[in-house]
Amino acid sequence: MLRAIAITKRFGRTLALDHVDFEARPGEIHALVGENGAGKTTLMNVLAGSLAPDDGEAILDERPLLAGSPRAALAAGIAAVHQSPMLFERMTWEENLALGGFDTGAERLDLAAVAARGRALAAKLGFELPPSGTTVENRSVAERVRLEVLRALSFNPRVLILDEPTSVLAPSELAAFLDLLRNLRGEGRIVVLITHKLAEAMAVADRITVLRRGRVVARTTPAETSEEKLAGLMIGEVVIQPEAAATKSQAGATVLQVENLKLDDHTGRRILDGLSFRVAAGEIVGIAGVDGNGQTELVELLAGVRQSSDGKIISSGAMAVIPQNRDLDGLILDMRLWENLILARPLRERVTSHGWLNTARALELSRELIDRFRIRAPGPDTIAGALSGGNRQRLEVARAIASQPRIIVAHNICRGLDLAATAEVHRTILDFASDTGGGAVLLISSDLDELLAICGRLLIISRGKIRETSPGERDPERLGLLMAGARD
Amino acid sequence: MLSSIAKPFAALLVAAALISIVLAALGASPLGVFAALGEGAFGSWYACVDTLVKSTPLIFTGLAVSIAFSGALWNIGADGQLTIGAIAAGAIGTHLGGFPHSLAVAIVLIAGALGGAAWGGVAGWLRARRDVNEVISTIMLNFVAVQMLSWMVHGPLMEPSRAYPTSSPIASAAQLDFYFAPSRVNLGMLLAILLAAACYMLLFNTSVGFELRAMGRNRRAATFFGVRIPALTVWVMALSGALAGLGGAVQVSAISHRLYEKLSPGWGFEAIAVALVARLNPLGIIPAAILFGALDNGSQAMQRTQGISPELVQVIQGLVILIILAFDTPAWSGLRENIFGASNDDAAAVPPVAEMPDA
Repeated sequence: MLRAIAITKRFGRTLALDHVDFEARPGEIHALVGENGAGKTTLMNVLAGSLAPDDGEAILDERPLLAGSPRAALAAGIAAVHQSPMLFERMTWEENLALGGFDTGAERLDLAAVAARGRALAAKLGFELPPSGTTVENRSVAERVRLEVLRALSFNPRVLILDEPTSVLAPSELAAFLDLLRNLRGEGRIVVLITHKLAEAMAVADRITVLRRGRVVARTTPAETSEEKLAGLMIGEVVIQPEAAATKSQAGATVLQVENLKLDDHTGRRILDGLSFRVAAGEIVGIAGVDGNGQTELVELLAGVRQSSDGKIISSGAMAVIPQNRDLDGLILDMRLWENLILARPLRERVTSHGWLNTARALELSRELIDRFRIRAPGPDTIAGALSGGNRQRLEVARAIASQPRIIVAHNICRGLDLAATAEVHRTILDFASDTGGGAVLLISSDLDELLAICGRLLIISRGKIRETSPGERDPERLGLLMAGARD
Repeated sequence: MLSSIAKPFAALLVAAALISIVLAALGASPLGVFAALGEGAFGSWYACVDTLVKSTPLIFTGLAVSIAFSGALWNIGADGQLTIGAIAAGAIGTHLGGFPHSLAVAIVLIAGALGGAAWGGVAGWLRARRDVNEVISTIMLNFVAVQMLSWMVHGPLMEPSRAYPTSSPIASAAQLDFYFAPSRVNLGMLLAILLAAACYMLLFNTSVGFELRAMGRNRRAATFFGVRIPALTVWVMALSGALAGLGGAVQVSAISHRLYEKLSPGWGFEAIAVALVARLNPLGIIPAAILFGALDNGSQAMQRTQGISPELVQVIQGLVILIILAFDTPAWSGLRENIFGASNDDAAAVPPVAEMPDA
């Protein structure tokens, strides 16, 4: 049995964990749910040895774990999968796995053996690995997470702790992943699933522990509770549901037109295969797809970061892009909040005259945006890396909207956000595309629920090709099949 | 700002303590040695001026390095850029006999800046267009520049009697005046200080400087937000080279008045240490360069009066740099401070972003 007893952890003045008791038994999936900032990740880090608690202790099978030692935790049989993938970008996937438990420990590193074991386990779990020698840097987020799960499992751990692993999975991948968790449970392991997707917790967990502001507020089971009750416990107030879909058909003038867009990578492999679509003012168009089907490349082409091999992108007006990987592409984590805001050229122009940057005006503008978009930060001078995930996303959305674009292209903007933050981002996007806002939005996401909630029109991307769905098509299961590449 | 300068000096004290132990072990009196060092560097008006003379090229090259490093462009070639600037200044300077003084000086300095800009710009262009790692290209270009200087003073620019491997002196019109002669106070020092202020303003008060820092901190994000990385890379490397080249021109115009082999004792490399001690802050370059200049200058007095070899000064310099780096890591400290000072949630679990040279 894995037990945490009265764990307390402070960061500066913030009490991240306040006498938290937690236990998970062998052969169970234990869901740990809570809002962003509730302390879930901190608790995981304490259990996995990445953080030493200020008080309290963690015990596995009556043996206390050495605090603050990931190595000791691993040796005791606790493996963790972190929310932001901890991979070595410029190394190949097999080199990344070699740091796991697949390595034989012989003096000579046998990468081929590591790769073979990795492939075997991956096949058992139901996914494929890229060709040998592929570096991690250009792989999709979903592939990275799968690689991390694989690396964690390579240790053959007694306890597997997963931090928001499913937020990057498509519906079609989700079922398989949940089955995988059930299999691990069947083998008598302890699985701790950190999530704020309540449906998942309800579907797969044996027991659920709810954290709010660093405290355990409930211990329950799916049979005893409901999604609504859990949401209430997590937030401590009424749940804000995103407004119903704005299924407007009377779109305005075309703002973005993409014609026969093609992209080949440097090996000549076709990534995007003749995409054509348009987005009109006042419209939110969704592109649904499983990660790694060309979405990242499409966003890069739209942002002008990459050159297409063929085809046209015609945009009548300014575009603001919110890339999916906010820590790598969207923000400069070791620069200040205000500097991250003026990274957007339109905002920078507002505080610049004749090339001179007016820092006072930039700070003032940032304070306005912090208020307007309710970014929780001590001030505009805060280093972006010190913000929570939700506040980083608010920062990105604030920057995009304040740039006053005609169109916003947003990729997986609610990934890793909790209910309240997601609802807030959705409301901001809906406002932007409302009659008064008049903006156009292209929302690219692997989260079908999100797209169905706010998009008026839905496109499906699969293997670099795009197809329209009929306006009334709202059946998640059928759409999920299309995302997985099924034909009509 | 204050602490960014205070910390290196605290490190200096720790280094001094360590050196004292070494000196005591060698049987020398640490206090005597440090007194001689200080006396030699700052003990008189002339010592102070000589320290400044030794610091001036380090300010120019230190600025060159800090501007490039701020954009994560690892310019290791300030030495070559300074050398090319000196060659340009020395070659043109001999032909300016009939020119008005200020015009001749301006021509010499501009020639030096352009020469350095070309040398840095080549490395920038190679990085931007051909993806050649600038660490390698600037090191290689250093060799080329040094050999070019050697060839020039043995060949095309050799003085008429052909007795010595030096060039003819530049025209007196092209020489920067000394004030308070016989001291060597000259306008090159003022120029260095003004440029430090200008570089600071460029980095922190202009839009293009912001883009440069953004490129340095996160090239991918900068790309996503429309920073034209290739063009900026060429310009930054050219500017960096121009600063170093100007340093070479000032050295020729004010101090050496002619070219000879090994004109630079390695200012371009020492500049990397200067820039790191200053934590890439252009205003911090001035005290950092003076610190290194003072160590250089004081070492002679130390040798004279205490019988300590000047090599020990290099040991001190090396220790100072190591201890400063150990004292704090600039890229991480701000982040760490914010996480433990103000964070209110799981953000504390986010690992710091390491700054890596973009290979």
